[in-house]
Amino acid sequence: MTRLFLRVSPQALRITGLLFVLCLVVLFFSTQVDNYLNGRLFNRISSSVAIMALIATGQTIVILTRNIDLSVGSVVGFTAFATGSLVTAYPDMGPVPLVLFAMVCGAGFGCINGALVAYARVPSIIVTLATMALFRSALVEFSDAKSITSGSLPQWLVSFPNTKLLTIGQFQLRAGFAVAVVVVVLVHILLSRFRPARRFYAVGSSPEAAEMAGINTRATVFAAFVLAGALAGLAGFMFLARFGNITVVAGLGFELKSVAASVVGGVNIFGGSGTVIGAFLGAILVDLIDTSLVRWQLVSEFWREAVLGALILLSVTVDTLLMRRLFRLRQAQEHEAAKPKPAAAGKVTKEGAA
Amino acid sequence: MPEPVLSLDHVSKSFGMTHALSDVSMDLHAGEVHAIVGENGAGKSTMIKIMTGIHQPSSGAVRIDGDAVTLAGPQTARDRGVVAIYQEPMVFPDLDVAENIFISSTKEGWFQNRRDLRRKAHALIDRIGMALDVDQVASGLTLAEQQAVEIARALSQDVRVLIMDEPTAALSAHEAAQLRRVARTLAEEGVSVVYISHRLEEVFEIADRVTVIRDGQHISTRPIDETTPDGMIAEMVGREVGNYFEKAPTTATPEVLLGVRDLTLDGTYENISFDLHRGEVLCMAGLIGARRTDVALSLFGIAPATGGTVTYKGAEVRLTTPRQAMDLGIAYVSEDRRKLGLAMEMPIRDNVTLATLSRYQSRAGIIDRAAEAETAEAYRQRLNIRTPDVEIDVGMLSGGNQQKVMLAKWLNMEPELLIFDEPTRGIDIGAKAEVHDLIRDFAAKGGAVLVISSDLPEVLAMGDRILVMREGVQMGILDAADADQEKVMALATGQVRSTAPDAREGEPA
Repeated sequence: MTRLFLRVSPQALRITGLLFVLCLVVLFFSTQVDNYLNGRLFNRISSSVAIMALIATGQTIVILTRNIDLSVGSVVGFTAFATGSLVTAYPDMGPVPLVLFAMVCGAGFGCINGALVAYARVPSIIVTLATMALFRSALVEFSDAKSITSGSLPQWLVSFPNTKLLTIGQFQLRAGFAVAVVVVVLVHILLSRFRPARRFYAVGSSPEAAEMAGINTRATVFAAFVLAGALAGLAGFMFLARFGNITVVAGLGFELKSVAASVVGGVNIFGGSGTVIGAFLGAILVDLIDTSLVRWQLVSEFWREAVLGALILLSVTVDTLLMRRLFRLRQAQEHEAAKPKPAAAGKVTKEGAA
Repeated sequence: MPEPVLSLDHVSKSFGMTHALSDVSMDLHAGEVHAIVGENGAGKSTMIKIMTGIHQPSSGAVRIDGDAVTLAGPQTARDRGVVAIYQEPMVFPDLDVAENIFISSTKEGWFQNRRDLRRKAHALIDRIGMALDVDQVASGLTLAEQQAVEIARALSQDVRVLIMDEPTAALSAHEAAQLRRVARTLAEEGVSVVYISHRLEEVFEIADRVTVIRDGQHISTRPIDETTPDGMIAEMVGREVGNYFEKAPTTATPEVLLGVRDLTLDGTYENISFDLHRGEVLCMAGLIGARRTDVALSLFGIAPATGGTVTYKGAEVRLTTPRQAMDLGIAYVSEDRRKLGLAMEMPIRDNVTLATLSRYQSRAGIIDRAAEAETAEAYRQRLNIRTPDVEIDVGMLSGGNQQKVMLAKWLNMEPELLIFDEPTRGIDIGAKAEVHDLIRDFAAKGGAVLVISSDLPEVLAMGDRILVMREGVQMGILDAADADQEKVMALATGQVRSTAPDAREGEPA
């Protein structure tokens, strides 16, 4: 057991652990809630997690570089509204230009964050706390406190997220979820194989070492924020398609949920390690618990927040304790392998002076 | 003689008023191991930083293949084939060995092929002659292995000049030998290796030529067979002492305040034994990595010793927390003013009373600021801290005045044993003399002082006895009366070990 524990990479261990916890949660609720385990549960979770998965993917990239993006919720809200207004004004616009618009719009916000963090050297938590408020206010100003309603949107857009690509029994693979999965897998492949993307890990793992190794740390951090913005923009488009009705509070609170999903998914908040697959599973776990608690009669719905909080604390604490234990085990193993020789200094009396 | 790969051409470097390097010239040739030796603070680090583009010379030029170049930063130097590795290696703890080596490589394609990467990493690691699992994550590597990763990274980028700055200081004897073999192998392959070390026997083992630096000046460069350890030491310390420190008469009494026997902290230092008498100043000398501060931290209860005994005022004590040490009357003044010594954004008044705050507290827990100010003012006058009042932030003061504030903080505790780590580092000569007087004065009033200093003239002038350490081992205790710079340095570099009678019987001079 210990041997295996030592050989498997920490990330693989985390993913396995998450899948295990996911199964446990499903099993637990199926004993508590009547008619719980069926296709409708899958359909419901997969639809609602699609948006959060995109945001958490962007958030993960930012966290990997030792930063955080608290403005993603506002970016989602703004792009959803802006995209909605655009398509209302030009109903003939096709999906491709519309998606592009949403992503460029989000990336633009990301540029602002990235420039302030990477080049002006303001801590990201401060920058994005401020831009969270600023982008939200921009939405209020831009929208003139009006809302977009699904009635004004083209039919293809509104029906897109629930388009069934594949149906197996009660299980439906819907287009919205498929898009999220494709994006997550694509980003995962990039982050693990694409050489320039590996720099996100390098910069977060040790900024000094990255600098010494000739990595442009500022450009790397900037790119992380731009990508997170673009993904938040895509999420904004999905948000518009799914809900149709966009008000000034669209996307409120998404920033904290995306951080929660990443952290629960094993992304180290101090940067350098974590995967978007983990963050994706984290998003699913958070959403699953959230949805299930509504149906659990033993516990009031108002406990949802508390359970989410407890989940974050628990997962991070367990992770830290486990990793520390793993580190110690590995060190002990190495110590065994390379026993230090006793210091020879005691014998040195007159050496080389002859 | 072929064109040198890299040369320093009359390079000088000043930081404000301090001249770190003056008019240093040196050539590095392909295929040689070139050692640079000198005392702490001689300017070795500045030389490296100039070669690697971290600092730009104030005057003079760096030449590569004879052409004067501007090395704008580590990346430019790296592009020209100049790479440095340090005692603390720069690796990415979250990435595995293979990726650590190739992370910034520009010769690989856009997508990394795991198998290809592993194969190349293997080849490089083999070339260095280390056994290392390329799939292992770097956070689990030993220091020696991390250095190997850095060397492999340098090799992957066609290094021409590899600078190794104290690479073996933190390594075990076995690991150090391995690293020296690597350095030798690289030199045979045509790399110019710059090797900086305090271990003279290492220098004699691997270097082809040796350059001695002292006080920012180039003293000599010779082939290794034309030099001897004694001659090298003489050149390293050979400055005019100039008597700017007056030797004070001793005030030591026969009464032992602190007795240390076989004090050991596993893996750090071992078997430290000495007696410290009331009225005595005992100086600890040694080079970087001698572990003197670690001994002091154990005596102050921060890093408790794992073996040996400490007696204080005749009774055996176990020191496990700073609070306990302070209650016994032991004060420790840190070498790092900025991080561990002073609250820079607070005024003198608050800093002076920081270690003794409970005395200024009313029963309700309110601090009596007038009483604080009175104490601080008394110290300002007594220690001659040069400011108009005690309300000025400590960060605004000169180094010498900061040092006095730190001393005031601990004197206010009314300690009987004062441990002073590098009391005069980075302060000017005048302030140094004042700090020396304060230390002597403290001893004359019956206190005992343990001073850690890397400044040899200071050690010789201030200490009644001198305890020399090297890599966690006590090399000997010298009486100030018959100590000189060469003797201390010979012990500190491990050329000899004291043949003097065992320290524990040694009476103060």
